[in-house]
Amino acid sequence: MMDVFNWDGTVSAKDFRIGALSFAQKWESLNSAFPPWSWVPCPKHPWLASPEEEGYLSLENICISRPYEVDIDQNSQTDPGEEETSCSEKEDDIDDATLVQSNHHELHYCDFHIVYSYTFRVPVLYLRAYCSDGRPLLLDEIEKELPACSSKESPETKWAFITQEEHPYLKRPWYKLHPCGTSEFMKLLFLGGDTGQPKLEVVLELYLLSWFSAVGQVVGLRIPCKMLNDRR
Amino acid sequence: MAKEGSGSILQFAPFQSSVDEGFWHRLSSLKLNKFGIDDSPIPISGFFAPCSHPQVSNYLTLLAESLPSDSNEESSIPAFNRGNRNRCSVPGILYNTNTMESFHGLDKQGLLKAEAKKIWEDIHSGKVLEDSAVLSRFLLISFADLKKWSFHYWFAFPALILDPPATLVDLRPASQWFTLEEAESVSTACNEWRNSSVTADVPFFLVSVGSDSRAAVRHLKDWETCQDDGQKLLFAFYDPCHLPNNPGWPLRNFLAFICARWNLKTVHFLCYRENRGFADLSLSLVGEALITISQGWREHQCVPNAVGWELNKGRKVPRCINLAKSMDPTRLAISAADLNLKLMRWRALPSLNLDILFSIKCLLLGAGTLGCQVARMLMAWGVRKITLVDNGRVAMSNPLRQSLYTLDDCLNGGDFKATAAVRSLQRIFPAVVAEGVVMAIPMPGHPVSSQEENSVLEDCRRLNDLIGSHDVIFLLTDTRESRWLPTLLCANTNKITITAALGFDSFLVMRHGPGPFNSTPDLKVEMPNSLSDVLDNLALTNTDGKQRLGCYFCNDVVAPTDSTSNRTLDQQCTVTRPGLAPIASALAVELLVGILHHPYGIFAEAEIANSNNGGSSELPLGILPHQIRGSLPHFQQMTLVGHSSNSCTACCSTVVSEYRKRGMQFILQAINHPTFLEDLTGLTELMRSANTFQLDWDDEIEDADDECIEL
Repeated sequence: MMDVFNWDGTVSAKDFRIGALSFAQKWESLNSAFPPWSWVPCPKHPWLASPEEEGYLSLENICISRPYEVDIDQNSQTDPGEEETSCSEKEDDIDDATLVQSNHHELHYCDFHIVYSYTFRVPVLYLRAYCSDGRPLLLDEIEKELPACSSKESPETKWAFITQEEHPYLKRPWYKLHPCGTSEFMKLLFLGGDTGQPKLEVVLELYLLSWFSAVGQVVGLRIPCKMLNDRR
Repeated sequence: MAKEGSGSILQFAPFQSSVDEGFWHRLSSLKLNKFGIDDSPIPISGFFAPCSHPQVSNYLTLLAESLPSDSNEESSIPAFNRGNRNRCSVPGILYNTNTMESFHGLDKQGLLKAEAKKIWEDIHSGKVLEDSAVLSRFLLISFADLKKWSFHYWFAFPALILDPPATLVDLRPASQWFTLEEAESVSTACNEWRNSSVTADVPFFLVSVGSDSRAAVRHLKDWETCQDDGQKLLFAFYDPCHLPNNPGWPLRNFLAFICARWNLKTVHFLCYRENRGFADLSLSLVGEALITISQGWREHQCVPNAVGWELNKGRKVPRCINLAKSMDPTRLAISAADLNLKLMRWRALPSLNLDILFSIKCLLLGAGTLGCQVARMLMAWGVRKITLVDNGRVAMSNPLRQSLYTLDDCLNGGDFKATAAVRSLQRIFPAVVAEGVVMAIPMPGHPVSSQEENSVLEDCRRLNDLIGSHDVIFLLTDTRESRWLPTLLCANTNKITITAALGFDSFLVMRHGPGPFNSTPDLKVEMPNSLSDVLDNLALTNTDGKQRLGCYFCNDVVAPTDSTSNRTLDQQCTVTRPGLAPIASALAVELLVGILHHPYGIFAEAEIANSNNGGSSELPLGILPHQIRGSLPHFQQMTLVGHSSNSCTACCSTVVSEYRKRGMQFILQAINHPTFLEDLTGLTELMRSANTFQLDWDDEIEDADDECIEL
């Protein structure tokens, strides 16, 4: 068994899967502020070596903004290129039984996926954000809601670099926290502390939890202490 | 609206739509791969769930799974399963048009009526009892503009109008309507209903509460059996709305159904809402409505009127969403390239100046082995503006060594290299701003007849304009004489000039020093921003007395005549070792990037490898040499320094001032009379006394530490 000193900060796909399920379980039981993560299995890719079932963790529809009301009586600009259609005079689109609301909540939501990277051998956090009507948010809009994303201050966020890449399973562009620094900071997390040298088995078991405690902060998902301290 | 007593009109909160990006991706894919121009209506599914938050309503959502699958898609999105408690599926229909005009020309009234008719039919045929979700059937019209990647769309949630409208007798939170015991039982029953995969997505149901306070949740079709007991019977539905004083839209057609099917005039209803996955009876509402049944409702064939087109921020206009950033392949390529460079800057080179690279304009004279590779390397570094000049056509042997061409470019006599190169660059990276100029470069020692004079002068002027409008010039031709005029013009305007020249198995890559005159009043120097400030601060005089770095010709003792007979450098590419051009091209571009990041730019002093100069190695990209000479037989590379020569036929002050005085006439004279330049610069005299200088590799290796070649 490899010594923890020689450990390069990465995990195998199998350890990722085991860790992911255990992480999701702990989250569900100890983190009631959020809905639970769910494991999404994916069809096998015959050209990869791993025979186990592949998949990723998914946490979706998390509201990342404070609700603010937009008064729709404002003369806000129309959607680009849109004109009022001529049929509006002929029909009664509203009848007496239709409630006409004077305000309109505009909220931003975020989906998070934790996906294993075979190239870097570490977990990667993918995210995408959108408005209530489904319109996707661009990176600068996301960064406004999650200010920790663009800050280069704290040690955790020093490793945070958001790029846009094709989601490995959904084949659409998603944003992700680039994983090239992950193995380094994972080594630091475990070996840099003054709590003595942990056993490698323990390190791998707690890998996902520790990884997320650093990475989640960047996107505003904090892990409650009791989850970190729970050693079951 | 008042909650109790007064019998005011019951007002429903309209459904709101939410379309996930994935829906548009799949629709585009289906349009392109399957449907083509066929615009027949497409059956789709919408998804909704009961309200799950006290301040936010739920939406009717469309996802990729809402559309039929496109078998060409490689994604692993699963088809949706029934029984998902968060995705109650509702049938809908999509009319997607092929043009904006037909989108606006759709008969919206007619389409709404048609869907309303379907609901009416389902009510009377009993379909609702089997699959109650059909009561919330919806309509979507759209126009997918697959050139601009924008999607115009409009939802309608058809609601049958009760005439006169239903009135509200009472509406209050469910927790206030039930007793404590009843409420508990109702919650439990509802949670069971929601947790069973058989019923989780059934959005309309009955809640009966017996005199023993025990509640039961039943299917609509069991209504008859619920009649007997003296129990409370509520018509319940998943309410997406969160408002405390209004029920959600699904209740409209529910009431219409109840009234038409069972002829009830008083209806007790339950707006079922949740919080954190469990029934929430303080958020849920119980109400009592009075319905007046009009004559027409008994007659099946008379379809009531309907409303339901969704407003867009209060206005009767369609919605539009633009997804170019995530669907347009060009935009994706640009964003990927940008992020790649930013990643490099973040991880390895924090002082990388991407703005300069994105904005600089490069002129490549020659689109052969060197030109093709230099262009590719420039694009890899983020340079977007590239002009290639070459008057040749692509020959059959070219594609092997000239990396922008393929066999297709050789057919039918061969395309012009300049045009083929630009096409190729655009295929690699659509956002490149590339231009091709088919033009020959006038050369000294190749006299022209008087008929050709005008066109040659025209070429000279054109070359001058090109040089003037670019920031960096690469000399990548395969003859020495073709480098003369560009060198002169660049020295005149202090443009960053980089030369690459190939011998059979050796190469030279160098940057020209600045011209003899630092700044002139009548010429605008087009320098990148960070360098122009430096320019202003430097001394005005930079005569030959002060050592400036030399150009390609400073090392020559002969004027650049027709050198076909005595070739060491500037070989035709067919007789050079193939590995040379890629190496030399790559070094040329790396050298440019070094210049752009040096605080003095073109005025930077030369540095050599293994130098003991302290300051230079602090630059993140490393040293900035003047010349790099490489030898393949030795797998060796040397950095050298050569200062300018007072007798240089291209860049010395004599030549440049003659050019400034006499312009094109001077050029013409140099072209037509091979010894004119030598005479002008006094080289004729010098030749008599100078020895030919030979670069001997074996000797130089030992003296690698202090390379300084001077004439």
